[in-house]
Amino acid sequence: MDNLDAARLQMAFTLIFHIVFACVGMVMPFFMIVAHKKWLNTKDPVYLKLTKSWQKGVAIFFVVGAVSGTALSFELGLLWPEFMKHAGPIIGMPFSLEGAAFFVEAIALGFYLYGWDKIPEKFHWFTGVIVGVSGVASGILVVSANGWMNAPSGFDYINGEFVNIDPVQALLNPAWFTQALHMTLAAFTATGFAVAGIHAYQIYKRRHLDLHKKAFKIAITFGAVAAILQPISGDLSAKDIAERQPVKLAAMEAHYETKKGAPLLIGGIVNEETREVTHKIEIPKALSFLAFGDFDAEVKGLNDFPEDVHPNVPIVHYAFQIMVGIGTLLLLVGLLFFISLIKKSWWEKRKFWLLFALLGPFGFIALEAGWIVTEVGRQPWIIHNIMRTKDAVTPMPGMIYSFYMYMGLYGILTIAVTWLMMRQIKSLNHPYLK
Amino acid sequence: MLYIVLFFLMFSLLLYVILAGADFGAGIVELFSTKKNQQLTKKTLYRVMGPVWEANHIWIIILVVILWVGFPKFYNVLSVFLHIPLTLVLLGITMRGVAFVFRHYDAFKDKSQILYDWMFRISSLITPIFLGTTVGSMISGQLIITESFEDYNFVELFVQPWFNGFSILVGLFFAALCTFLASILLIGESHANDRHVYVTKAEKATAAVVGIGFIVICYGFYHEITFVTDFIKNPLTLGGVILSFILIFPLVQSIKKAKKVTSRALAGIQVTLILAAAVMTHFPILIIGYNTQINLIESASPEKVINVLAISLIIGGAVILPGLFHLMKSFKMIKVLDD
Repeated sequence: MDNLDAARLQMAFTLIFHIVFACVGMVMPFFMIVAHKKWLNTKDPVYLKLTKSWQKGVAIFFVVGAVSGTALSFELGLLWPEFMKHAGPIIGMPFSLEGAAFFVEAIALGFYLYGWDKIPEKFHWFTGVIVGVSGVASGILVVSANGWMNAPSGFDYINGEFVNIDPVQALLNPAWFTQALHMTLAAFTATGFAVAGIHAYQIYKRRHLDLHKKAFKIAITFGAVAAILQPISGDLSAKDIAERQPVKLAAMEAHYETKKGAPLLIGGIVNEETREVTHKIEIPKALSFLAFGDFDAEVKGLNDFPEDVHPNVPIVHYAFQIMVGIGTLLLLVGLLFFISLIKKSWWEKRKFWLLFALLGPFGFIALEAGWIVTEVGRQPWIIHNIMRTKDAVTPMPGMIYSFYMYMGLYGILTIAVTWLMMRQIKSLNHPYLK
Repeated sequence: MLYIVLFFLMFSLLLYVILAGADFGAGIVELFSTKKNQQLTKKTLYRVMGPVWEANHIWIIILVVILWVGFPKFYNVLSVFLHIPLTLVLLGITMRGVAFVFRHYDAFKDKSQILYDWMFRISSLITPIFLGTTVGSMISGQLIITESFEDYNFVELFVQPWFNGFSILVGLFFAALCTFLASILLIGESHANDRHVYVTKAEKATAAVVGIGFIVICYGFYHEITFVTDFIKNPLTLGGVILSFILIFPLVQSIKKAKKVTSRALAGIQVTLILAAAVMTHFPILIIGYNTQINLIESASPEKVINVLAISLIIGGAVILPGLFHLMKSFKMIKVLDD
């Protein structure tokens, strides 16, 4: 494996890890403050127990997210020094604001975690709100920096030099809004379904029904609402990509031939040699409509782009299929949840709980797949149409060892955190523990 | 505006060294304690640091962001040529953060605590050593900064600059400094019966700081490391270090009289003086390599970027600093009067 591939794999691996912690750390505070509010309003001790349990989850995920984020902030420079040398000043604004938002989150979390019975009740609850809001703000800012890589703006590129830098314009790059919206909704969907899944499994196992049903309802409400809203955001993203990154769109759909009234492919196996997709389902003219709002619009195929700007088509295509497939599934199940609020008898059926328990990890699978679509789909560029990833990689040889080290470390961490969370859940069902 | 950015850069560096340094040091104190005192240190540390733990470690992110936004060429040299020690620092930071949450948030306090504790203690020692080593390499005069990578071998470019006597000694010096800060902090937080434990630790740590500091200077002088010879020649920097040394005497007095705030303030001033002396020696040149020197100010971004960065920092600071102060005050980490 050459240095570039090792560096890319390390980046992918650390991001895949970090993103889970960042999303949970960003969304779970909202569940926590809802439970907390219910405790303040009803004084039902079950809500207090739930709040304190979720707060531990938030603390664990926040710290692991923070340290893996610290590692990433260094890795950007360690792995892609040439990129950071030029892009650093341009996208400095989202990153410095993100730093500030993250700091606010850490301070508010300090108040929240240690403030029980020490600071006024309402202020204490409010610090929890700040944790959630600043978490979402830092997520949006980081995604804006990523948006800039897809839609570089706020500078002039003259003779290989970045001049006339405008950091504000770079922050508000054309991709920031669609990407940030899509990511935020994805974070809520994934975390909502994951947390609801854990509690659904406990209900399925008939443990502490009262507590877990209350927990389930809070988490799934967030997850289901986000899942139902997500297609709107997905549509905005698709139209955006069709306009700005047509190669990425073509790769997502494994669309090789330029066509008017192009069909939408569902599934299918990509044959890169023959440039054909087999075993697919075609919906006539749907791609043209989704990309341009016109059933007869022309969608440019991969064959009309030079080969050296193609991303890895199978990876992007499969990842996109996984994301959309799971997204649709979660939307339907989200609707099912709202129906269950009317058809209360469903809550007595074990199958209902098994369904949600099984779906627990799927939101995160879709979220990771979505990141693969946008990141692998951007290749071979690190800055779209400006700088190639291979020109940005560190000149230091031997990146493969660094990759192995990170893989080992993060592999162990994943196992350890999973184990720790299982113990948290176990303690929740333990009658003698608080 | 550039000076505002420089101020925030130095301010974050100082706060990271003092706040995170004391936290690293507490882990080192724990590592070198008897079993009974290890648990005592763990509890005390958690009580004092718990609420601000996350915030303390964010200063390094602020530091890195200021460097890459404001001084990209400077940061570029660090990330290319000091890749290995920085990666080791990250490894330490990650292990340490994870061990910290694990040992305090695990729902069951059983044998797994032993593992978390050792992870925490060992990474507490390793992280500041590599951080110090990285800083040592910046001024060791051994860093080869080049574009023609074929002219040198891997060891010359990526290992030798940090894996050398001087850099590692600076690493040890920084670890000793952290231990010193932590023991002063812990003295103020411990009960009357336990104070002697940390007073002894503080004495040993002070001896280590002075001893290793002296060795660093002798070693640098003997090997004619430019930074060290200039450091000794400059009356201002030498004066700063000597003043820092003299402050040991009032510090001892304030510890004897159990003056918590005074002793912490003195320790803080001592570390600030050392840091200021080191930065001032060649400022704005902060990297003294084998063949080139890197001037921080000359590597600054275009004016417009610096202006936006300065404004972001001012706004961020206006939100963060009062919040942080209020947090520390609420949990009685700051007391206005000695008690």
